[in-house]
Amino acid sequence: MEDEAFSNISGKAISLDCQTHSSFCREFTVSSPKMSIGKVMVYTCSVWLLAYAVFFFTENTAVLSSAILITLTGMMLHIHFVKVDHESLLVIGSLGIQVSSSYASGREVTTFIEMSRIKDIVINEAVYLNQIIYYLCVLLKEPSEPNVVSSVVPLFQSSKPRLNCLAKVYESCQEILSKCQ
Amino acid sequence: MGQRRKVGSTNTPSSQSESADASKVHSRKHNICMVSDFFYPNMGGVESHIYQLSQCLIEKGHKVMYNQSTATTCFHSLPLLRCVFVRERITVVHAHSSFSAMAHDALFHAKTLGLNTVFTDHSLFGFADVSSVLTNKLLTVSLCDTNHIVCVSYTSKENTVLRAALNPEIVSVIPNAVDPTDFTPDPSQRPPDRITIVVISRLVYRKGIDLLGGIIPELCLKHPDLHFLIGGEGPKRLVLEEVREKYQLHDRVRLLGALEHKDVRGVLVQGHIFLNTSLTEAFCMAIVEGASCGLQVVSTRVGGIPEVLPEDLITLCEPTVRSLCAGLEKVIAKQRSGSVPSPTSIHSRVKNLYTWKNVAERTEKVYDRVAGEEVLPLDRRLRRLRSHCGPVAGSLFALFAVLDFLFLLLLRWLAPDRHMDMAVDATGPNGLWKENRKNSDAGC
Amino acid sequence: MVLKIFFPQCCNRAESGLLVGRWISGHDSAVVLAVIHYPFIPAQVKQYIQQMQAQSRVDLTVLGSWSLPKDGQEGMESFLRDLSTIFPQERWLQIRRQFGKTGFSCEVLSRDQICGKNPGEKAEKKKKKSEEDGGDAEREDEEKVIFVHYEQRKVMLSQLHPVEAQESGNGSEPNSELRQVFGTVARSQPLFVLDRYDDGPLRSTHWQSEGREASIVVELLKRASVPLGLLLGRMLSVWTWICSARILSVFPLRFLFSKLSTCVQLSYRTERLQTLGAPQAAPQAAAHMDFMRKANVLVSVLLDVSLGVLLMSWLYRDQNIAMLASNMVPAADRVAQKLEELLQWLMGAPAGLKMNRALDQVLGRFFLYHIHLWISYIHLMAPFIQGILWYGGLSACLGLTFALSLLSDMVALFTFHIYCFYVYGARLYCLKIYGLSSLWRLFRGKKWNVLRQRVDSCSYDLDQLFIGTLLFTILLFLLPTTALYYLVFTLLRLVVVLFQGVLHLSVDFINSFPLFAMALRICRPYRLAEGVKFRVLCEEPGTALHLLMEINPLKCSSVVQTYRTPTYSCYPRDSWVALVKKLFIGELIYPWRHKTTKSD
Repeated sequence: MEDEAFSNISGKAISLDCQTHSSFCREFTVSSPKMSIGKVMVYTCSVWLLAYAVFFFTENTAVLSSAILITLTGMMLHIHFVKVDHESLLVIGSLGIQVSSSYASGREVTTFIEMSRIKDIVINEAVYLNQIIYYLCVLLKEPSEPNVVSSVVPLFQSSKPRLNCLAKVYESCQEILSKCQ
Repeated sequence: MGQRRKVGSTNTPSSQSESADASKVHSRKHNICMVSDFFYPNMGGVESHIYQLSQCLIEKGHKVMYNQSTATTCFHSLPLLRCVFVRERITVVHAHSSFSAMAHDALFHAKTLGLNTVFTDHSLFGFADVSSVLTNKLLTVSLCDTNHIVCVSYTSKENTVLRAALNPEIVSVIPNAVDPTDFTPDPSQRPPDRITIVVISRLVYRKGIDLLGGIIPELCLKHPDLHFLIGGEGPKRLVLEEVREKYQLHDRVRLLGALEHKDVRGVLVQGHIFLNTSLTEAFCMAIVEGASCGLQVVSTRVGGIPEVLPEDLITLCEPTVRSLCAGLEKVIAKQRSGSVPSPTSIHSRVKNLYTWKNVAERTEKVYDRVAGEEVLPLDRRLRRLRSHCGPVAGSLFALFAVLDFLFLLLLRWLAPDRHMDMAVDATGPNGLWKENRKNSDAGC
Repeated sequence: MVLKIFFPQCCNRAESGLLVGRWISGHDSAVVLAVIHYPFIPAQVKQYIQQMQAQSRVDLTVLGSWSLPKDGQEGMESFLRDLSTIFPQERWLQIRRQFGKTGFSCEVLSRDQICGKNPGEKAEKKKKKSEEDGGDAEREDEEKVIFVHYEQRKVMLSQLHPVEAQESGNGSEPNSELRQVFGTVARSQPLFVLDRYDDGPLRSTHWQSEGREASIVVELLKRASVPLGLLLGRMLSVWTWICSARILSVFPLRFLFSKLSTCVQLSYRTERLQTLGAPQAAPQAAAHMDFMRKANVLVSVLLDVSLGVLLMSWLYRDQNIAMLASNMVPAADRVAQKLEELLQWLMGAPAGLKMNRALDQVLGRFFLYHIHLWISYIHLMAPFIQGILWYGGLSACLGLTFALSLLSDMVALFTFHIYCFYVYGARLYCLKIYGLSSLWRLFRGKKWNVLRQRVDSCSYDLDQLFIGTLLFTILLFLLPTTALYYLVFTLLRLVVVLFQGVLHLSVDFINSFPLFAMALRICRPYRLAEGVKFRVLCEEPGTALHLLMEINPLKCSSVVQTYRTPTYSCYPRDSWVALVKKLFIGELIYPWRHKTTKSD
């Protein structure tokens, strides 16, 4: 069990937690930084100031209450659907790979991919907005045609770690996969 | 201006980091970035030129990567190009074709980023109409601080120097080449009882397809054993189809549609005469390929074509129907009398004229020369733009250059270079592929 | 390879006994289904397993032994080992749980170890010793086993998605390991009938259904539903007999029926109800889909009818119908008046545009006459409107969808004049556009080649060119007038179409929404499984890895996607771009559903 600090592609600090449950079962957790209070304050204040400015001219109190409502629902939606707290990858040799990401509100989205559908795990390059980044992905195959890559599941989509972090995860994943083949 | 738009999949640079020695950058090894809008899988002269040149340079141990895009505006390509240049540790940017918007973009931004640039011009241009006046102005601006320009023929050099108001000393001529092993003659493929004329080009106005439409019925009426074999696709295909229907020539004029590069030889060897009807051409690779396959070449006397082949291998005509017909008649008569040189002898003469190895060596010399030059700092660049490109356009583009520079500063602040991962060189003699198979792109 | 043992949670604390389950071929994993306790007679166990195998069509076997020693119980080990000779297997699992420890330990004995008994025993003894010492070799051996704990009841009841059609009992086994586990547990339902508290010859531990009383109620309901179903079926057959009568399939009637949305809805509903009475499909996966479909249809019909009754109760209260009817005629009058004003405006110089006066007048008068006709028609109808509404309202007892369809039909009938205007305008406009386009081709020395579907060049002689050019000019100058009329009436028509589209959409929504599946997803999330998720359970050094398998419920969006009842799609047949293009060249657009676009 070790906890290491890395940075993601935009330079923010993230941490990689690598837990070894057994020789063929490892869990990697990439935690993004927590939501900063300052940022929340800035957004909230700006919305409220704007609302107050509108209120100043229109003298309609509904504006103020709606501004409060908007900030609250906005924050809730952000926490529930956008802000990912940590993403984890559970590799269980000969059983499969489980990818899960948990949001700041505690909501968890999990997918399990069976070993019979996994072709390989690779690091690939992609154009992301105006940059080119490396990302880790699982290549899937259909059991009927084992030599064709049918689809690609990108991992750590929201935290986007840099290459040194990806390489570390990649190496230990390959170790398990090669052991269980 | 300067909006950072999302670059979709149309903009995907097919980055092929193919060869490397990144750790110990040798003084004579360069990291070259080829930039153009044209690339495989499209077919054409520029595309194959870039591909073959890259392959030869990789063999020589340089690192070449390739960048392609279809839609660009002035500024939004800067972040992406910067990312590519920084990641791949590019030292020389090599842009191709004056038709390519991205090539101009890359030249402009590379200067802002402080990289040396080379430009290869593949086409000829007029001076008279509005579009060429505008293109020429753009070319003047983007070539004004390019370190070196490569043209494919002397005509093209003359043309480029005039258009872009350049110092002729920084313009060199390096012709295109063909792979002689790909284009070998095979006379047994020719049908014995007829004479076949082969035309292979894109079916567009520039390639003189309207002339071809005039030639076909005239010659077919005179010679009943004459057949045409036409490869390529384009908007002018309709003209040929109409001609074919009007004169009932379905069995004698075959339209093959778009051909892949590997199929071209199979078509060429079926013919006796290769016909090229281009209206403008800087360096015609098609006629070299035709001659290499042992065909008699008939071509229009335009652009750089006269310097491509020795005079006894080519019949040159004026770009009119009558002149072309006369030229073809002459060659057909020669063919009938059997007084033409054998295909193998033609092939052996053409074989050593243009090789990619030669081209790559000469291009390498250009890179060596360019790499030593200093990149103008911003103030001198601006002064040069002002003095070189005229007061209005010069000032305008100087403003662009300043904006570009400011944008670059902003980008450096938003996403510093140290946050970018250096590209891992996967294949090649010094690549990491075999050691720990880090970047298995296609999944083995 | 790593051996995976799927172990039911309910057997965690079971007394020592025999493990009954199944080896999954090709995946090196075993599913434990139940534990049979001591004491038992081996022959009875064998007989029982054979019986179960016949019932469930799962190749059940004795997997091995399970021991959970109580306080002071020792010396079970040699007995357990002897059992393996009684039930000869390829591999024999020996799972032990120390009292007070959470982890299990497992030994795998292969056949030759069992047969060559004497050397084997020695080896075992050595092993045992080394295990007690916590030796390295033993741990390595132990780490090759994964225990996956699952909740038997949830896995048995859940259905893995996407449902595979070929997943039948006797056919080829599915490729996926999880599917095989789920299938095995689901099919071995007969095994779970054996009661823990029965005084049979065998006692066993497995998931035990609770509450027999509830199942009696269910049974009674089932009994009661049989005559009800019969009655419904009889009524349906009479209704379909009427529908299939020959007189109804005469051309004009059939055409009319296919255009009236009420009739379409009626036939759709009949079809759905007929599927309810269809016999059960045989294979398991198909049976599940069939059951879900029927349940969805039933629930949505019930909801529809109850909403309809609600609507009816509102309609027939406090003279609501009379009020509606009395408002109807003035509303139609007002619309007609507005239209007349619009036409008058168009006949002058609308928005300062200068139109072709003669054509403008002709068109305007033509449309005015139509409005006049329409108004007299409405006034003729006025006394009957209340009656129509009253009887139409009765249709709501068949369901809200019927009421909505009827409303849509009535709107179509009441706005027939707008439809007429639109058709006249569109036809005229279309004619002009076609004429102009072909004359424009003539203008450029081209013609349309019908045979090859392309534009060819063609040389015209002088007269043709002269006449063509003249006609082209005339058409071009008359175009704005026609285009204006076309534009205005198309906009009117689009408003009506939009309204009808909204009605159709809501009808379609009620018809197709999988209400039952949605309720199941919310109340019993494990019934519809998208997959599984694993959690790493306790870790005690030296024991095998323990995972907990939980069921990952299906996402709501995919629930809707999977269980949507197929309907006639009522979206526009073509994309928005195609629609705009059609409008531009003046082709007619219809809101009607088309049978060809049936989505399945």
